[in-house]
Amino acid sequence: MSQRAGQLARVTAAVWRISLAEAIAYRVSMLMWVLTTTFPLVSLALWSGLAASGPVGDYARPDFVAYFVAAFLIRQFTASWVVWELSGQIRSGDLNTLLMRPMSPMLYHAIQNLAALPIRCALALPIGGVVLALAGGLAWPNPGSLAALALSLALAWLLNLGVHVSIGCLAFWVTESTALFEVWLGLYLVLSGAAVPTSLYPAGLAEVVRALPFHASLGFPVELAIGRATGAAVTHGLALQALWVAAFGALAAVLWRRGVRAYEGVGT
Amino acid sequence: MTAAAAMVRVEGLCKRFSVPRREAGLRAALRALVRREYRVVEAVRDLEFSLAPGERVGFLGPNGAGKTTTLKMLAGLIVPSAGRVEVAGFTPSDRRPEFLRRVSLVMGQKRQLSWDLPAIDNFEFNRVVYEIDPVHYKRRLEELTALLDVGEVMRRPVRQLSLGERMKCELVAALLHGPQVLFLDEPTIGLDVSMQLGIREFIRRYNAEHGATVILTSHYMEDVAALCPRILVIDGGRLRFDGSIEALRRQIRPLRRVSVRAAALPDDPTAMGRVVLREGGRLVLDVAPERVPEVVGALVALPEAQDLAVHDAPLEEVMRALFGREEAADLGGAIGHAR
Repeated sequence: MSQRAGQLARVTAAVWRISLAEAIAYRVSMLMWVLTTTFPLVSLALWSGLAASGPVGDYARPDFVAYFVAAFLIRQFTASWVVWELSGQIRSGDLNTLLMRPMSPMLYHAIQNLAALPIRCALALPIGGVVLALAGGLAWPNPGSLAALALSLALAWLLNLGVHVSIGCLAFWVTESTALFEVWLGLYLVLSGAAVPTSLYPAGLAEVVRALPFHASLGFPVELAIGRATGAAVTHGLALQALWVAAFGALAAVLWRRGVRAYEGVGT
Repeated sequence: MTAAAAMVRVEGLCKRFSVPRREAGLRAALRALVRREYRVVEAVRDLEFSLAPGERVGFLGPNGAGKTTTLKMLAGLIVPSAGRVEVAGFTPSDRRPEFLRRVSLVMGQKRQLSWDLPAIDNFEFNRVVYEIDPVHYKRRLEELTALLDVGEVMRRPVRQLSLGERMKCELVAALLHGPQVLFLDEPTIGLDVSMQLGIREFIRRYNAEHGATVILTSHYMEDVAALCPRILVIDGGRLRFDGSIEALRRQIRPLRRVSVRAAALPDDPTAMGRVVLREGGRLVLDVAPERVPEVVGALVALPEAQDLAVHDAPLEEVMRALFGREEAADLGGAIGHAR
């Protein structure tokens, strides 16, 4: 058993090394990617303008700055892009290479994703710093329990990964799986808290939105980071995240297992 | 060959794909949105064969004949619709790590190495993933890089390599873990002649030294003829022939080509066989095998007879006959076993 764990650790390290080297080779396109995911910063400009004449709900101008900078960074920390890779590999037959290796293609994707995160963070942190300086030099309010935040970020990353793998696996059956992901992304922008803090939704609607996986993958960790989720809300939010992770993890596993059996190994 | 000793065993193997079907044009496209029609394509039908450890076997057949589909089922990439496959004692589609560590697949049209990294980084990655013992790895890497002459090449990013250099690196990556079964799908496609020869020679040598079973598909008849003592002809998803290239040649083009140069040629050579060429002092005939001694005897007796030669039909002709649809039927339903 420990022998298997040792091999898993060695493989993880090897994928990490090779992926990090690849990420460094792609550093320019990575920067472009970070820049194209600055949507929360656009929201920041909008909302801090609106809040200039007085708070919106319980968000004053500095609160918006903290919220959206946190949203921008957390999105970078928990990002996944497996859906593009996986659906491309399924359509082109490049998945063959991964399937022939004596290691799980899913593990490979997960580690590869994780390995690129430090580069993304290194690129994103200065941007976040500059925005904070320009918007008033505000430091984050009390980040709450760091352990809870770390756990929440890990769950958000896993949730994103599960969604990406689930939708990516649809490429085993349909050619338009990335178009389906665009639909998901559209909902995500509105419902995750990337465009507007979900607590500002009208009562009734807010409760529904905050129970969805979108909020679990972004809004909740952001609120945790800026100290807006405390006490029972922390436990509740983490439990909800774990629930969505389990749901999408199970869905991804089923779709992957069935997909591989339906795979036609296209291309020679 | 007993079943227990077989490295590859295939019984009643079938693969059906359902592909969406629609007519050309916008109207058909719109109709397909509402109701998609599927057509079942039988890519592989009822294949049956077994390969001994260390054999080199070539799959021959026209495009779309089912060669690559068969190869992918043997490698475990696609799941058979019916029948049984066993490779090195495993069911390939289970994709058990123990199985994957015993086989390797090289695809001429697909790169498996990471584009932006030097090949040596890819090799090192394989060392870990395939759990290759470091001492073993070092020895093997030295051996393979020396044989394929990629000592310098492997330190440059893969994207900067020529097609031939890249293919050599692909082969190193595929062989580092010492697979018992090597699947090669069009390994020399797009390569120049000298590179083709080099790769061919390498594969033969590797097989001789390590005893790995080699299964090859190639459009280049030359590759298959030079590398594989045993040929499986697959056409329309069925096994049409199983035997040596000579046996295949004789089955498709049974006549021997006899040529001679002489001061005077016989008046009526058609009695000896079919006249291919009669020009100046040169005569070329296609002769039935059992009549060859008699015809050779008669030709030798011609005045100033020289350059007498007996050949099998040229390979290209066999290939044309084999892949030309109407003539492919000449193989008949019975599978040849003339090995």
